[in-house]
Parts: sequence; C-alpha cells; structure tokens
Amino acid sequence: MVVLREGMCPGLDEDLVRGLRAADIKTVEDLVSSDIEELAQKCSVSYKALFAIRRVLLAQHTAFPVSGADLYEELLSSTAIVSTGNPSLDKLLDSGLYTGEITELSGGPGSGKSQVCFGVAVHISYQLKQSVIYIDTTGGLTASRLLEMLQAETTNTEEQMEALQRIHIFRLFDVFSLLDCLHGLCSGGLQQASVGGGSVKAVIVDSVSAVISTLLGGKQNEGMSLMIQVAGVLKTMAKDFNVAALVTNHVTRGGSGEVQPGLGVSWSHIPRTRVLLERVEKAVAVSRPGLRSATLIKSSRQPCHIKEEFDLQWWSRSKGGPSLGKRKLDETDS
Amino acid sequence: MSESGAQLFARLEARRCLKDIEPRLFPEDGGPDHGEVVELYGTEGTGKTELLYHLLCRCVLPNAAGGLEVDVVFVDTDYSLDMLRLVSILENRLNAAVSTSSSSAGSDEATLRSCLSRLLVVHCSSSSQLLLTLHFLETSFSSRPSLALLLIDSISAFYWLDRCEGGASLAKQEEKLGKCSELLGRLLRDYRITVFATCHAIRRSYSGPSSSSSSDSDRPYLCRPWQRLVTHRLLCARQEAANNMAAAAGSGKEQRRRQLFTVHCTSFSSSSSSSSSSSRTKSYRSSSFCVTDGGVEFI
Repeated sequence: MVVLREGMCPGLDEDLVRGLRAADIKTVEDLVSSDIEELAQKCSVSYKALFAIRRVLLAQHTAFPVSGADLYEELLSSTAIVSTGNPSLDKLLDSGLYTGEITELSGGPGSGKSQVCFGVAVHISYQLKQSVIYIDTTGGLTASRLLEMLQAETTNTEEQMEALQRIHIFRLFDVFSLLDCLHGLCSGGLQQASVGGGSVKAVIVDSVSAVISTLLGGKQNEGMSLMIQVAGVLKTMAKDFNVAALVTNHVTRGGSGEVQPGLGVSWSHIPRTRVLLERVEKAVAVSRPGLRSATLIKSSRQPCHIKEEFDLQWWSRSKGGPSLGKRKLDETDS
Repeated sequence: MSESGAQLFARLEARRCLKDIEPRLFPEDGGPDHGEVVELYGTEGTGKTELLYHLLCRCVLPNAAGGLEVDVVFVDTDYSLDMLRLVSILENRLNAAVSTSSSSAGSDEATLRSCLSRLLVVHCSSSSQLLLTLHFLETSFSSRPSLALLLIDSISAFYWLDRCEGGASLAKQEEKLGKCSELLGRLLRDYRITVFATCHAIRRSYSGPSSSSSSDSDRPYLCRPWQRLVTHRLLCARQEAANNMAAAAGSGKEQRRRQLFTVHCTSFSSSSSSSSSSSRTKSYRSSSFCVTDGGVEFI
C-alpha cells in the first residue's frame, strides 16, 4: 500500500494530493482503481493531467512482464548448482543445491541437520572458494567445529583462515531480527560480504523453525504473516542475487503417526525441495554412528521418496595420508 | 473512457476459446469457455504446478506439436515458476512431435524460442502489487489479441499477509483480494480471456484417504468475490501409495513407484435466469495422472 504524497511524480502537487484525499483517494491503488473522468471533475483538474499521473504512478509501482524467452536466457546464464560436498546428498538433490531456490532440510533432534549445514558451508568456502552467509538461530554453531572440518581438508593454516573468513555468521534469536538481517542482506549486505572472497553462493538459515514455531498457534494471525514474510524475503534474495537458500526445520508427527516436517501446511508450499533426515537403526551395530538416511519428500526434478544413506563424517574425513581408518574426530551430534 | 478503433477491435475480436485445452480434466463438453475461471486447489505436492505447466505447454506449442499457439501471461506470486522444468517439458513434447511427424519443422532452438516468446511472466510480491499489475496488464490484453490465457500461481500467496494487515476486521482483511477479484471479473467480461489459478490448501485433512465427502480442508477459504468468479474447481490429491502398490507389484525390477495424482473437477454452470449460487448446476469428472520427464501423463 503506497500512500499518495506530493512530489511522487511530476504534476502531483500538494493541492492535488489534498483534493484527492478529500475525494477519499489516499493510496496509489485507490487512484489506479478509480474512474479518472469522475475524479477529474471532483477535483477540478484536467482529465489529461490526471490520466498522465495515473500512468506514471502505475509504471513506477507495477511489476513488469518479461518474455519467457528472455527469462530463460537469463536463467541459463545465472543459475548455478552448488554441490553440498557429499556425493550421496548431491545425487538426492539432482547434483546439489540450485541457486534461486529454497531447499529445506528437516529432521528430529540429533538427525544431523546442523552438521550437514556446517559441511555445506565448509565445502563452499574451501573447495568452491565462494562466500557463505550462515544465520544461526539455535546457537549451535561454533567456529572450532568449522575449523575441525577445515583441518581435515587441508593442513595449511593460511588456507584455513581464508576459508573461515569467507563464512559470514549472524547470530539471531527472534523473527524480527531475522527479518531485519535478511532485509539488510538484500539491500547491500550481500555485496559487502562478496568484497573479500568470492561472491555469496549460499545463505543458510539454521533453523528457521526455531524462531517461527513459537509464534504459531492460537487465534492470532501475526505468526503466519511473519512466516510468510520471511519466506518472501528469502525467495526474493535467492532469485535476485542468485544464491542457494538452505533452511532447516524440525519435525512433528502427522495424523496417522508418520514423521513430517514442521511449521504446517502453509510453510510446505515454500521450499522447492524438501529432504527429511533420519537416524539409521543399524548404525550403531556397524559402528558408524554418523550414518544417516535422507529421503526426498518434495522435488520438482526427481521422483519423490527416493532414499540415500550418507555419513555425517564425510565432511570431516581425513583425506589422503597414511591415516586411513583412523578416526581422530569425536563425532558430537548437534 | 474512450478507446481507439484498434483497441475496440482487439477487445471485441474473439480470442481463442480454450474449451478444448484439456478434455481429460473437464466434464463432457465442459471445458473453460471465454470468461471462465478455473481454480486448482490442493495441498503441497499434489501436482498443481505440474498441471499448470502441462496447460501452459499445450497453449504455447505450435499446432504441429499439438498446441494451440496462443499467448499466455503467467503471474507468479511466490516464485514457484521453474523455467528449467518448463523448458524440459517443452523440449520433450517438441521432440516427440518431430519424431512422429515426417517433416522436420525448423531448428529445435528456433521453435523453442518462438514458444517461449508467447509466454509473458510477471512476478508480484504483495497483493497491492498484484492489483496494480492487473491494471497494467489491461494494456497488454488490449494490444495483444492473441493473449487468451492468464495463469496465476498462486492466488493464495498473500492470504496470511492480508489477514494480518487487515487487523481485526474481516472486511479489511479481504479487501485487497476482493479488489483483485473484481478487477479480474471486469477483465474477464471485457476481454473474454480465461483464467487458471492455483490455491494452496491451508488445512491438512485428518480424515482417512478414502473419505469421499468433502472434508473441512477442501472448503474454499478465500474471499467471496473470488469464490463467485470460480466456475471450475479442480481438487488435486496425491493417491496413497497403498493403492498403486498393486500396480507396481507387476513391474518387479522398477525401483521407483510412479506416484499417481488424482484430480476431481467440479464445474459450476450458472443458469441464465438468476445468479445465486443455489441455482448453479454442478457436473463432475475425476481423472488421474502421473508425472514423467515429459510432464503430466493422464491415465
């Protein structure tokens, strides 16, 4: 809703604004929807002048149609697929996280959502040499864990520091600061973050349900509205700046007892791809405590319900050297 | 408001009737006519967007490939248009057409580009912007007589935002969507286009999958002006895995079970004498489809 003010467009002076307000036209939408002839008579201005003002205001505030061919060309040149670093997860996601979309990772406590997010952040900042924005709402992120994962990739401390610098961390614990942060990123924050290293390729919000689920329920609508606002800003950011958005979500039990992602039906339409993480029963038996199974529950590119098993310790496995099989990292589930 | 002769001609000239856009979805001879609105309703993952892509492709493809060659405007309110998926469906259908026909009609890329140039995409980020954009699109409708279809995905994207903005009064909450619906009604009457819109479900149905009575979750929840516009309602649902297990049991080697989706169409045809909803006659049709690489395939 844009309120009419003088100076918004040439010809819209104070007298005209006052006259329009007297005729109950207060916003741009009112002006555009009303009958120009009638209004011109009421406010004693020329029909042509009012029509020109309407045209300029409409052009200023409307969204412009783009031809499908141009949109496709643009997408071809700007869409990138960001690998998660784990080949099984990549296979599930049809080669990785797509920029311009929201991918959701849901799972119960200890199912490894945060570990996957750490792994993705480290992979992007070290292997792909691009920046990552990590928004932590649970307090589960520690730099020492990221460093541990980087130490498994390389022993060169300079490279480790460079990679750590490419991960930009925001710690927030309520939805209003989250909205503030996201709006700030859209209006210049992302460009700032790209100054040092490569451009920002991923925005990770861990977890989005921690700040929103507390607002839902009851008879008020504010919680739902805030949830949709967060979704809107995330999607706009993903599309306009070509970043891949990765969010994590908790799980609840559905009507027939099956595990489903949280935040309800209205959130379920928001992410383009949804993955459910679960612990694997036989993990302890085969002494691989990091084993998890990922199920694809929503995707526009792959058939649903395909499962992949992967190991959370993939991102911290020691690469090369004679220490194959020696587990020097204690796996602490988040 | 006076209009030029060209505008009058463009307005009155008959746009392509889309009655035959997909006869497998609608009841006998009951496809969407001029000025009718079809609402696709369903929860997440029930194939609504895939159906929209299917209808879109049917419209923009050339006649040789089984299309209608009409222009389409796609209003995207929640950034759910996946151009890459759309293009892969188009390419699939173009290739299928080329392989069955003996002549090779032009290069693939040129035909793809001409198909895509029939599509206009607009992104809206709020219901006020949607209202202004529909006003703006009026000029597109008057200047392009080949524009016959308006797709909105989805009309319910701003539902919660509007409800919160409207505060305590229900009238204020529904005001913006009401204005959009009235404007749409005028555009439908003046320009005789057809509108397809998706509407996301906001309540989950907890009754069993086999319940045939319309449960709470399928009841329309958008404002009255919109409900009055809707002439066909397609209820999309995912068929439970148990039902198609029997079908998949035969193909032992096939790893992936083909997910089946059902569509239940309710068409309202209002009698000419009165416009109250009680006198609208209803007709029904159910169909099911599955999603393949080439888009929607009916069963």
